[in-house]
Amino acid sequence: MRNVCIIAGGMSQWGVRDAALRDMFQEAGKVCFDDNKAVTNKDIDGLIVASAYTERCSFQTHLAPQVAENLGIKPRSICVRVELLCASGSSGIILGYGLIRSGVADVVMVAGGEKLYLPQKWEIFYSEMASVDHDWDGAQGLGLPPPAFAMVAKQHMKQYGTKKEHLALVSVKNRRNGMNNPKGQFREPITLETAMTAKPIVPPLTLYDCCPITDGCSAVILACEEKAKYLTDKPLIYIKGTGQATLSSMSANMPNWTTWEALKIAGKKAYSDAGVGPQDIDVAQTHDCFTISEIIEYEDLGFCEKGEGGPFIEAGKTDFGGQIPVNTDGGLLSCGHPFGGTGIRQGIEIMKQLQGRAVKQVEGAEIGLTHNLSGFIAAHTILIYGRQP
Amino acid sequence: MAGIKILEGKYIATMDIYPQQAKEFNRIYPFYEFLKQGRFTTTQCKDCNHQAFPPRVVCPNCLSENLEWVDLPIKGTVKVVTEEEVGVPLGFETPLIHALIDLRGKLTLFTRIVNCKVGQLKEGDEVELRVFPVDPVPIQIGKDFILNERVFYAFEPVKKQ
Repeated sequence: MRNVCIIAGGMSQWGVRDAALRDMFQEAGKVCFDDNKAVTNKDIDGLIVASAYTERCSFQTHLAPQVAENLGIKPRSICVRVELLCASGSSGIILGYGLIRSGVADVVMVAGGEKLYLPQKWEIFYSEMASVDHDWDGAQGLGLPPPAFAMVAKQHMKQYGTKKEHLALVSVKNRRNGMNNPKGQFREPITLETAMTAKPIVPPLTLYDCCPITDGCSAVILACEEKAKYLTDKPLIYIKGTGQATLSSMSANMPNWTTWEALKIAGKKAYSDAGVGPQDIDVAQTHDCFTISEIIEYEDLGFCEKGEGGPFIEAGKTDFGGQIPVNTDGGLLSCGHPFGGTGIRQGIEIMKQLQGRAVKQVEGAEIGLTHNLSGFIAAHTILIYGRQP
Repeated sequence: MAGIKILEGKYIATMDIYPQQAKEFNRIYPFYEFLKQGRFTTTQCKDCNHQAFPPRVVCPNCLSENLEWVDLPIKGTVKVVTEEEVGVPLGFETPLIHALIDLRGKLTLFTRIVNCKVGQLKEGDEVELRVFPVDPVPIQIGKDFILNERVFYAFEPVKKQ
């Protein structure tokens, strides 16, 4: 089994874009290749494309060959699209990792992203119902579901005393950290007061508790260690462990609303693969689709005790200088969330942190973690990266 | 369909928020027949007794196809309420009220609440099944189109006596 490295990464501008999906894949591919001039499109033997809404919003299937054509890539080992909604990008990275590790491929680009804004803006507020169980949850009016996360927040607040302020602190931290990503959707910090007095969406969630709707693409290049050695002049960053778990799909089958059992299962697998524990993680990018998500992720990833997520951020433990900086380039709340592009963006930030070239650096970062949840908090996907294999 | 002549007057399955309910398009169509009778049902495995929700075609526990339809309670108790003020999906109106309800210990369901004002529903309140018609689906049989009448469900506060 070979070691696998991440050797380049880049993203297009994310936000409300005057661009089509195919345009943004070209932009992201170019930034990715520009990030590492030692690897060109001629060196790529495999392409994995992560996009959840290409069929719906761009009326386009068979996307991977189109992206290959647009980026001048001629794959021969793998050329395919993957989808797990919000975790599509990370899923692409796990699959690329598996193919390289086993020798099926050598150098794989994983590119992902979405075009969600369409000429008829109402369409996305309709199409989003595909993101939950269509017949059973979508038909109940659950779209990209703020009500589900409001449900989670209410229960967490009741069970553990988490406060609205704790949620707002997540928005404030991530909007501030968003200044570290020049390609992110929002590049303006907000004050605690703004976060606390914002427009309610589904109480207790208000405007800044929710990630926006975003167009954008991103891409990374994975390589077997042997080729990575001459395809990059930066420190080699390895994928050390992965986990992806699901215990339910439809809302009635959620085992627990405030402890995310599938997250813990995915975490256990990833930590075990990597031979590390939560205390060894130096920097993490977790899935802050809503502020309450990040708070529960601190707990269920093992960074703090169950129920202590609120006090954990309140004490500054998840900011720069703290025990475990989380979402160092702004997370979903600030960068935005073009589903297939998110896990890849997280991988790019972790790669740069571990290589010592992040826009804002976590000193001495050696081991990093990315996490995504997807669907009705139904599946969790985790990757652990490090400077050692 | 705005500005696309070929789609004018056409029913578009891909824009349909409700499930297909005709026997030609859904093997669990009895669920919707039972809804029309005011019954809330699911399937139970006759081999291992496992009861799954939503209704199934194969038992997720033992993979048997030997399933039977059973009744679930149509009344439940509210555990948590959410009220969405902004950004509801198209086809739904604000305020959009949902609740996590306990159907007499048989099932915990996250469901839409209708016939209810903002702030009215509280933890511990009783709710009951409410079935209502939704847009029918034109189904093509040979050259003919028949309209498949459909229903869907939500829960509503039980009127206090």
